[in-house]
Amino acid sequence: MSIDMSQFYQVFFEETSEHLANMENLLLNLDVESPSLEDLNAIFRAAHSIKGGSGTFGFTDMTGVTHVLEGLLDRLRKEELTLRAEMVDAFLAAGDVLRAQLEHHQGGPDADQAAIDEICARLTQLATGEAPAAIHAEAPVPAEAPSRQWRLACVLPADVAASASAVDNLFAGLAEIAAVDIRHRPDAADGRLEALLTTSRAEGDIRDLLGFYLNPEDIQLREPEETAYGFFDAEPAAVAEEAYGFFEDPAPTASAADPGYGFFDDAPVAPEPAPAAVEEADGGFGLFEDAPGKPESLPDRSIQPGDSPAAIEGQGYGLFVNAPGGLGLFDNAPGMPDLGRAPIETAPATASPGPTAATPTAQPAAQPSPGRRLTDNPSIEVAKAGRRENDKTVIATGADTSIRVSVEKVDQLINLVGELVITQAMLAETASNLDPVQAEKLLAGIDLLSRNTRDLQESVMSIRMLPMSMVFSRFPRVVRDLAGKLGKQVEMKTIGENTELDKGLIEKITDPLTHLVRNSLDHGIETPEKRVAAGKNPKGTLTLKASHQGGAVVIEVMDDGGGLNRARILEKARERGLPVNDAMSDHDVWQLIFAPGFSTADVVTDVSGRGVGMDVVKRNIEGLGGKVELESSPGFGTRTVIRLPLTLAILDGMSVGVGGETFIVPITTVVESLQPRLDDIRTMAGDSRMMHIRGEYLPFIALSDVFGLPGVEDITRGLVVVVEGEEGKAAIFVDELLGQHQVVIKSLEANYRKVPGMSGATIMGDGRVAMILDVAAVIRLGLANAKRRVAA
Amino acid sequence: MDIVDSSGVPASGEYLTFTLGKEEYGIDILKVQEIRGYEAVTRIANAPPFIKGVINLRGVIVPIVDLRIKFNLGEPTYDQFTVVIILNIGKRVVGVVVDGVSDVIQLNSDNLHPPPEFGSILDTRYILGLGTVDERMIIMVDIEQLMTSQEMALVESAAA
Repeated sequence: MSIDMSQFYQVFFEETSEHLANMENLLLNLDVESPSLEDLNAIFRAAHSIKGGSGTFGFTDMTGVTHVLEGLLDRLRKEELTLRAEMVDAFLAAGDVLRAQLEHHQGGPDADQAAIDEICARLTQLATGEAPAAIHAEAPVPAEAPSRQWRLACVLPADVAASASAVDNLFAGLAEIAAVDIRHRPDAADGRLEALLTTSRAEGDIRDLLGFYLNPEDIQLREPEETAYGFFDAEPAAVAEEAYGFFEDPAPTASAADPGYGFFDDAPVAPEPAPAAVEEADGGFGLFEDAPGKPESLPDRSIQPGDSPAAIEGQGYGLFVNAPGGLGLFDNAPGMPDLGRAPIETAPATASPGPTAATPTAQPAAQPSPGRRLTDNPSIEVAKAGRRENDKTVIATGADTSIRVSVEKVDQLINLVGELVITQAMLAETASNLDPVQAEKLLAGIDLLSRNTRDLQESVMSIRMLPMSMVFSRFPRVVRDLAGKLGKQVEMKTIGENTELDKGLIEKITDPLTHLVRNSLDHGIETPEKRVAAGKNPKGTLTLKASHQGGAVVIEVMDDGGGLNRARILEKARERGLPVNDAMSDHDVWQLIFAPGFSTADVVTDVSGRGVGMDVVKRNIEGLGGKVELESSPGFGTRTVIRLPLTLAILDGMSVGVGGETFIVPITTVVESLQPRLDDIRTMAGDSRMMHIRGEYLPFIALSDVFGLPGVEDITRGLVVVVEGEEGKAAIFVDELLGQHQVVIKSLEANYRKVPGMSGATIMGDGRVAMILDVAAVIRLGLANAKRRVAA
Repeated sequence: MDIVDSSGVPASGEYLTFTLGKEEYGIDILKVQEIRGYEAVTRIANAPPFIKGVINLRGVIVPIVDLRIKFNLGEPTYDQFTVVIILNIGKRVVGVVVDGVSDVIQLNSDNLHPPPEFGSILDTRYILGLGTVDERMIIMVDIEQLMTSQEMALVESAAA
């Protein structure tokens, strides 16, 4: 039986990205002077989860990097090493490498092998600089393990053993990864399974496969070297029974005097913690295959007949470290000698059982109970600690009540609820014609329905909402890296990261915000020397703030840098031939930097200065239905304010009527609406009409002209909506104002095509379709109409 | 609904026939999503006259084409007997206004004749053939070709 793992890849990718992001976040918040153990543990957990996942899915390159990363992290969290700033840098770099590898597995470009090697070497060096003993534990996993023989002994659960097809499946599955020599085929009467497997695959693979059939801790996998396990052949049944019995019932079956029994010697010494350890190991399966000290990470030293029993033992122990449950058992055994240490660390053929077995357990105080004492072997520590971590992870997952749902499903739900709202509105409208006395109950029901649908719509919409922290969380890293590169000291603050925004907007706001942050760092905040000279704190502050204001989300990027240089901007604008003068208001001057290609930077750096950017920022944000504003005061800093609608799916609109049709004007574009007087309307060149509003002359555009509708001709009987588009303000003449609504935006292109002057359509309460105006396009159309008339 | 046959080759199968004025037309029934009465549409500014506008079909915005105007057939009157055939073409939903839906017929290649080569408003490119059923002539239209054609101005990419 083989399971197609690829179906789970997506989940792995998503989870790994989350873990990486989480890790980075924690690293950035880490206080290098006195790191909190909690944080270190959390970082370790993230790295460990990535390792476990990548191992399970066969992404060995990622396993290799996380393995090294984890080695160092583990020493840190055990306070064997002290955290240094370069370690944090190395961790961040490792995170980048992992991300690159992840992208590669998702079909992206190849990860830079040199960078991978470099980071592994760096981490290893950091970890081993003070502790060379950890080398083995942190050696990268070799890509291809040599082919070797395993002796498999286990007892299948009765229900599996009784089913011939299940047993067939099991052997077929084994045959896929190894050459199988069946020694004992399990059946209903005797569930024992014994086989010799020859394979180049990792032990973990075999265990994975068997894990579908029986408890991982019941699997016995060993190298059937005659010299090492001679006693197996002498009493094969006993081995299976005995080893098995060891887990279940720690009876002193093995003789302590016989050196050939290796670690089993200690079984009688450790009767008590055994069952507990087995219990604890539940759910620890995925983890153990990655435990350092597993065969792949050992030098592939085959056991020589001349090796001392201890050396073989060591190898055997290395195997056993892998055994889920087995590990917890052995190194938890009170008073257990440090079995694996000598062979693993030094691996000499000369090690003898006597001294190794006599090595006392170290660091007893570090452990919560005598049953969980640590040995001083780092590889074992990692493995064991890893298991504990896994226990925690299991608990954490249990407490985590969120589920992953595809956005598509949520959107479908939103659409359906939208229709429900429309249906409800139609019902309400029909019911309003009924006699309120006779249809009292019906009307009450409809009232209730309308309340419920509104609540439902709100909750459904909130599914798509994500906190701004999704965006903000990436900036500490950007700021850190950039500040380092620019030689500036910057502290980043975020305010209101719980402000929620539609997922679609969250994704699209990231790039413009990154740009603004980079700009603030590069041009805004000064170098420490300049800041000190100006009497400011050498450390600059960059603040990201998000908040709700009315129906909009306001995102602010603030720095306490030098502010915009008005004279400089004007000078540059003149150089570029832009129409400027010294009397312009600050607001207008600041708007100049949004012009395409505008940059006041003297030197083009790789950070900024090319002048592409602010115009893109502005265009992107306007594309989202938002606005950008700048405020700046020399010497005190700059503030960029972005206003965004709450969601892309819903729009606040003013509905206007023209010639019997309803149009929606996005409320963000509306400046005011008023009743025009005849003498406010002036003509220019005979036909182009202008409207005089408080000293401003605005082009007067009748919507009925633009769309060829039979609208009201008499100006005094209609209304004017003053709108502001990309190209400035305009007065749009409509027949009537109908009201203000929140409308669900529907695409016209889905079944039709883009209509000039319309940005989409929506469905009104009465079930009819209304068009949403694209104000900028309407102004363009209106002006073009006027020009055509003039030309004609 | 998935489109089963989009080859455009006259094939035997079931066809929905409808009338425009005195003429009878047939379209592949697998392209038909539903048939409904005409309801008020929302006009689309500056669209050709045969595009009546858009309607809200259970939350989906669907454009409505009046084939009578397009083909200059019959009187474009809109009353309770006016029928809209909602078509599923590719991934799009389009409604066409016709005078009436008459029948679902079986046609095979035996009683399907190639269209004569002469100019008409309806380009012969969009005619699969002429079918005969009980002395009636049925013009078999390749509705998918027609609806995605440039002259219908329904699809953006086709216009390019």
